[in-house]
Amino acid sequence: MKLAMKTMLALVLAASVPVAQDAEAGFPGLGAARNPRVEIAWNRLYDFEDIYAHLDRLVAEWPDLLSMQVIGHSVENREMRVYTLNNGATGADTEKPAFWLDGNVHGNEVQGGEGVVYCAWYLLENYGTNERVTELVDRSAFYLLPMQNPDGRSNWFKHAHNAHSSRSGVMPLDRDLDGLADEDGPDDLDGDGSIVQMRKYVPGTGTHRLNRDDPRIMERVPTNERGIRGDWILLGSEGIDNDGDGRINEDSLGGYDMNRAWPSLWFPDHVQFGAGPYPLYWPEARCIARFILDHPNIAGVQSYHNSGGMILRGPGAEVFGPYPRADVSVYDAIGQDGEKMLPFYRYMIIWKDLYSVFGGFVNWTYEGLGIFSFTNEMWASNRNSPDDRVEGGSEGRQWFDDHLLMGAGFVDWHEYDHPLYGKIEIGGFKKDVGRVPPSFLIEEMLHRNAMFVIRHAETMPSVSIAEPVVAELGDGVRTIDVIVSNEKLMPTRSSLAVRDELGAPDLITIEGDGIEVLAGGFRTDRFRPERIDLQDHDPARLIRDEGVGSLEEVRVRWIVRGGGSVTIRVTSEKAQDASRSFEF
Amino acid sequence: MLIPTPMFGVALATLVSATSAPLGDVESLSHARLSEALAAVASEHPDVASLHRVGVSREGRAIEALRLTGTEDPSNHPALLLVANLEGPRVFESGVVLDHARRLANAYESDESVRALLDTTVVWFVPRANPDAAEGRFASPSIERWASSIDVDNDRDGRRGEDGPADVNGDGVVTTMRVLDPEGEWMEDPTDARVLIQADRVKGERGKWRLYPESRDLDGDETFGEDAPRDAQVDRNFASGWEEHVARAGTFPTDEPEARALCEFVMAQKNLALVVVYDGHDNLVEKPKSVADDAAPVKRVPPYGVLESDAELLEEIGREYREQTKNEAKGDGEDAGTFARWCYDHRGLVTLSAVLWNLPDEAPAADEDADAAEGDDGAVTEEAAADEAAPAEEEDDEVSESDAKPSDDAKHLLWIDGAGESWRFVDWTPFDHPELGSVEIGGFAPFARSEPPQDAWTKIADAHFDWFQGLGELLPRIELVECEREKLGTGVWKVTATLTNDAYLPLLSRSMQRTRTTRPAKVSLVLPDGATLLSGNTQELVRDLAGSGGRAEFEWLVHGPDGMELGVSVDSDHAGRAFRKAEVSQ
Repeated sequence: MKLAMKTMLALVLAASVPVAQDAEAGFPGLGAARNPRVEIAWNRLYDFEDIYAHLDRLVAEWPDLLSMQVIGHSVENREMRVYTLNNGATGADTEKPAFWLDGNVHGNEVQGGEGVVYCAWYLLENYGTNERVTELVDRSAFYLLPMQNPDGRSNWFKHAHNAHSSRSGVMPLDRDLDGLADEDGPDDLDGDGSIVQMRKYVPGTGTHRLNRDDPRIMERVPTNERGIRGDWILLGSEGIDNDGDGRINEDSLGGYDMNRAWPSLWFPDHVQFGAGPYPLYWPEARCIARFILDHPNIAGVQSYHNSGGMILRGPGAEVFGPYPRADVSVYDAIGQDGEKMLPFYRYMIIWKDLYSVFGGFVNWTYEGLGIFSFTNEMWASNRNSPDDRVEGGSEGRQWFDDHLLMGAGFVDWHEYDHPLYGKIEIGGFKKDVGRVPPSFLIEEMLHRNAMFVIRHAETMPSVSIAEPVVAELGDGVRTIDVIVSNEKLMPTRSSLAVRDELGAPDLITIEGDGIEVLAGGFRTDRFRPERIDLQDHDPARLIRDEGVGSLEEVRVRWIVRGGGSVTIRVTSEKAQDASRSFEF
Repeated sequence: MLIPTPMFGVALATLVSATSAPLGDVESLSHARLSEALAAVASEHPDVASLHRVGVSREGRAIEALRLTGTEDPSNHPALLLVANLEGPRVFESGVVLDHARRLANAYESDESVRALLDTTVVWFVPRANPDAAEGRFASPSIERWASSIDVDNDRDGRRGEDGPADVNGDGVVTTMRVLDPEGEWMEDPTDARVLIQADRVKGERGKWRLYPESRDLDGDETFGEDAPRDAQVDRNFASGWEEHVARAGTFPTDEPEARALCEFVMAQKNLALVVVYDGHDNLVEKPKSVADDAAPVKRVPPYGVLESDAELLEEIGREYREQTKNEAKGDGEDAGTFARWCYDHRGLVTLSAVLWNLPDEAPAADEDADAAEGDDGAVTEEAAADEAAPAEEEDDEVSESDAKPSDDAKHLLWIDGAGESWRFVDWTPFDHPELGSVEIGGFAPFARSEPPQDAWTKIADAHFDWFQGLGELLPRIELVECEREKLGTGVWKVTATLTNDAYLPLLSRSMQRTRTTRPAKVSLVLPDGATLLSGNTQELVRDLAGSGGRAEFEWLVHGPDGMELGVSVDSDHAGRAFRKAEVSQ
């Protein structure tokens, strides 16, 4: 069946589904659904159970478009769920180019989970009414895994943490090599549900002083020869020496990094902190890798992280060398659009512009599998206030908290009697300040990122076959000229996949009971038909390992004897197959 | 190094003479019979032997581990692991490992040195780490299998594993085909026409033959045996030096179930202190590549090699190995993605790799077939290496047949002919090939290069057994000595203790100090209620403790009553544990 036909059919089907209430109510110019069939509050963050519950509501509302499968279990036996968004009426998901979207590989980087739910919700709510959404959903599939690290997320929500803790998974690890695992992490000493900082007043012998205008803020006293010392020392995160080894907070929950677990340029823990004993060691990463390997139709990947305002691509490490030029063009086009769609985001190369990452997830999906992949660091703290007068750093954050959060994000310094340090003070920002947006900015972040995912997904390859041109050579021998084109930015095979022989080559075949294929190949000059790379063997089945490139037209010529009904077919792992039948 | 302690001396005296149980024939090494034999050792010696499962292969065969130990609490003693047959064709090595295990189990009751070893050590035997590939040895037709799973599209035609080698002429073995072809790159070795060597146009040589694996052209692309099924090799599927995007390396490290099972097994044995591998790699005969302990990373990647401090120990162990076993067989020098490399590079475990036998490359001495069959090929190999490095001969433009030096394969044939091992080379036999027409099929038979002659088996096994059972003395073992308390004044005590390691290997190899995969020894001062620490840490982690009598000293000041009990404890996962009361010093 031809692609266009399928799309029409899908629209008919979609229109026949009864729509709750009046979909046209409200203001038609708004991007999000005007009168949503499933109401989800997009101004808050959700714990593990709620994320799945929202997606399950979407499945219940759109059972023909969204389905769920469990692909594995986490260390704490939480389900690892992939939700597949696909219109079965236009073909199986595995036959279409697919987009993989996940989030929250770092347990504390929670809003990736909401980002995945939002993207599913947006596509479903707008399917059938918005032309571009409908076309995208009909021609592609989305594999949506809201949480790579559900245990870490759950722990971050349910227990005392700060913005940076609970990044790891929860498999016990003896980080300090004393024979005990996870025995000395931070402690919520005052029982207020937050892990904040400890400071102690040590008049004249400290390293820090209080900011003159705002004593909540600690400033380091510059080293000087006049003997000026601070009155305070900072003692790190709230905690005690739980295991009596003379150190505090040295072996906390887990202590590894599931975004260093992936097979491409993987190095062990002593080279890349957190990598584990071998690639894909943890069950979460392993089941995700298996799913992705089993779905060679995945053409685009986005893995949401949470902080820094970055659109990241590999290489993760300098030693990989540069990406192939043609692939960089595709990356740049999408990444530069992203910078415009996502205020304060910068499009960056991981190793060069951020830091070196060995064994990162999007490094594997591109460097290992040839899939165009990005990681968005979703929260850009400049969004708090684009005004330069509200600087970054402690002052700006404190000002924002005072004026826009009514001080709710900060635990004021208060006294505590510490078993080792004696009289100290505990205080600082709570876990939901710094890496996640305040409630009133969440929806904007989710929407803009979903639009970037859609922009990325819209570039996935789409192959078509133009009307063949048949010419008589006499004696029943004919030439058949066909143009196979890819109307999209993304090639059917990335240059890296071609270079490293990843995945299956594209095939362009001709079939017909009445023809004998005498020769066939790819034309190399549009004006000189005799310039052709002939395929020596089995010319009816042309192998196109380099695929159909970005916006490329591939000219194919066969020389056949005979006639009748003939079918030409293009088979590609990362594009929906195209075929065209004709008679001559 | 290995100071001949009484334990070691006794071992040599008794075992060499007494206990050899003859190794069976190859058929006794099939997966089924090997499993039976392992089970028999376990059931006949329930006091020391137990059978464990490492994992299950891709095709569903059990990977088994036999454990021998007479210790009451095995976790309190260092463990030694012997693994073999990661590479499919080396099934003989499985037999040697089984033989080692059987001999130790048999001798436990009667032999003092064996009892001393097993009562202080846990010894693990994994004779067949890659059972699927090994089955190629027992299949018909006989074919060398290295890979065990996943088909890669080697010829990029969109089909996987559709055109592999096969027994085309039905002679029961899969060998090589040669076809007369003016474009062929191969010519006959002037010293032995059975052997083909690559023609060198620079020397005016012309090719005459084309060579193919014995195969049909099943996909009709006029290439032969170019896309075999099963590409991933277990012993290329480990994470250290893993070759991404190379078919033999597999989809990702540990994707092969055998590789992952071995990793998990190694990680589960927290008391593991030494690994020995009998297979195709070697670091005992040929000195492995080493790097400085503190070699600077290049673009953040540390240069790979055995760290210098460890290499020095390895060299000494290798010297002892060669002296005892007389073995000079070398490996292929390529260790990317191997189990042995992962054990050392990523787990820090001292790992000894030995190639038990290689096809010799000189004629056996007329009167000493058995000796020659042992595979003493070191000198000749060096000579061959020197040949390669030397510039092309300049004195004669035309190399007459009598002057020509035999190629490596021709040298192998000298031995094969002399030893009467004719099964190892299949004479070129004409065959009418369905696609190629007139061809000749023959060449080196499967397993010709890796399997020693039957009459050499016992000798190889004997020599390695004697070496192997001495390895217990290498394993680090910590002891607390000189644990004392001295009264400095009323209620003030100085407590001192010394930790020693009398074994050959250090407590942690240099690599392990880096990988942090085995925890250091923990020395703790045990304080009674009412005592307070005046100086020192109640816990000290000891990373750097040399072997051969390495010492580390500790000191504390304690305040407490005269009659209090003070003690020091030390514990580790892989070198033992101890507690010692601090006695009042005189």
